[in-house]
Amino acid sequence: MKKTIQIPLGSQHISLLEPIRFKFECENEKIIGVDADVGFVHRGVELACTRSFEFKQVGYVVARVCGLCAITHSLSYTLAVEKLLGYEANDRIKYLRMLMVELDRIHSHMLCLAHTAENAGFEALFMQIMGDRELIMDVQEAISGNRVQFDYISIGGVNRDMTPELTALIHKNLRLLSDKIDALIGLFDNNWSLSLKYKGVGVLSLKDAYTYNALGPLARAAGLATDVRAETNDFPYETLGYQMILESSGDIHARNFVRLREIVNSMEICRNIIDNLPVGEIQEKAKGKPNGEAVVRVEAPRGELFYLVRGNGQNMLERVRIKTPTFSAIPAMMEVFKGSEYADAPAILASFDPCMSCTAK
Amino acid sequence: MKFFSAFRKKSPWVLHYNAGSCNGCDIEILAALGPKFDLERFGVINTGNPKQSDIFLVTGPVTYRSRERLVELYSQIPEPKVVVAVGSCTTTGGVFRGMYNVEDGIDRYIPVDVYVPGCAASPQLIIDALVKGLDVLEAKSKEIEHPFKLFGTIEMIGNKLSRLNMAKKVEQHEKN
Repeated sequence: MKKTIQIPLGSQHISLLEPIRFKFECENEKIIGVDADVGFVHRGVELACTRSFEFKQVGYVVARVCGLCAITHSLSYTLAVEKLLGYEANDRIKYLRMLMVELDRIHSHMLCLAHTAENAGFEALFMQIMGDRELIMDVQEAISGNRVQFDYISIGGVNRDMTPELTALIHKNLRLLSDKIDALIGLFDNNWSLSLKYKGVGVLSLKDAYTYNALGPLARAAGLATDVRAETNDFPYETLGYQMILESSGDIHARNFVRLREIVNSMEICRNIIDNLPVGEIQEKAKGKPNGEAVVRVEAPRGELFYLVRGNGQNMLERVRIKTPTFSAIPAMMEVFKGSEYADAPAILASFDPCMSCTAK
Repeated sequence: MKFFSAFRKKSPWVLHYNAGSCNGCDIEILAALGPKFDLERFGVINTGNPKQSDIFLVTGPVTYRSRERLVELYSQIPEPKVVVAVGSCTTTGGVFRGMYNVEDGIDRYIPVDVYVPGCAASPQLIIDALVKGLDVLEAKSKEIEHPFKLFGTIEMIGNKLSRLNMAKKVEQHEKN
């Protein structure tokens, strides 16, 4: 007689935002093997970037690879093209771009926290975090004009300027949010029923994180010090109060805590940016056609985002290669599932913050 | 409260399926279900089960691999059902139109009742679409409540339906 049972999860499931199919090989309640199918949302963005769109338009197309980290996609593409054009943005443009990326990180992390809470069965906590998240969405709408797909970054600058009213709004909302995040940190740390679902569940050890190439909060929760913001010098993160956030236990609780503390750090960066915003133009002429090959790494909310852009002096690019954080982290995710209970699977999955539309493109 | 009385007639349950979207509309649907926009005051609950849902919220331009699942989910929802296409790429293909793995909008595969434009569609628009969907749902359920239209007038004895006379009518209809 067969000793194990196969349980599918997906491709359409209440706990999933996006289609992904898991096949869990279970022995009683314990998961002993996992198989994942991630290709449901493949659209062919990479090819279309080289066939259908000119290089000036591609920045807005790659933003549609992922709605959650749209700004990091368009930022990495723009940086790559600007490298090829031999153009370097002034400090004001850099600061404004950083501001949007950090705001995007805050709202993405909050969505992940909310989704993890919902999948672990804490519906009220989900509602509470989603309500707090609207403070950041309001700021994003005020700055860029759209709540999610803000096409804020263009080649040679940014599309909208900062005004004193916006500065006041950002300060106000960050102050409100900061109290709520402090309350959430206390809740996640001390609540007994949350600790039952989160502490010691879905553990990724430091060795596994290193071996299986974990990235972003997933790696930092296991104690692996990897963050593109600290490794590259495209942006002046060090001067604006950036800190590497590390935890050591590697379970869902540690991942939640990395996210919460990163939100606090990102709010600090946002405040510093607004207070020290340099004077200058927000849009400059970047002339020429991209010729040659450029590689850019940017820290997306989920980890390292890698872009390769190759042009040959024409309007159309030769190659755009996107390597997204979730794609790199899939082996590590598979490893975490093994040995945990099936009932914890949705919460573990949400705690990775997987982005399938990034992965499949 | 005349405004809300219209919504009390039915509390529609929603099935959400991502047919290849960029997550933008999906997180806006989540935001609409959240406390600020609060779709749940209209009785809307996000279910994962097609057999319990009334409104089918689809996002994304339908990729090659998701179309079978889309049609399968649509056929599992019981009548009456309303399909709402959320986002520009769901209605026309949007920015993904013409890409090799994309089918340019869901109305090639299933009939759509309400189209929502926008990239990404804002929660206000999604709420408007669901309220519009409720009207469609009401109209559709009224049609289903009167199946005897096919057979002319309804035969009554006193104030009760005459089953014998109706059965004779159905028999006559089948012979023709």
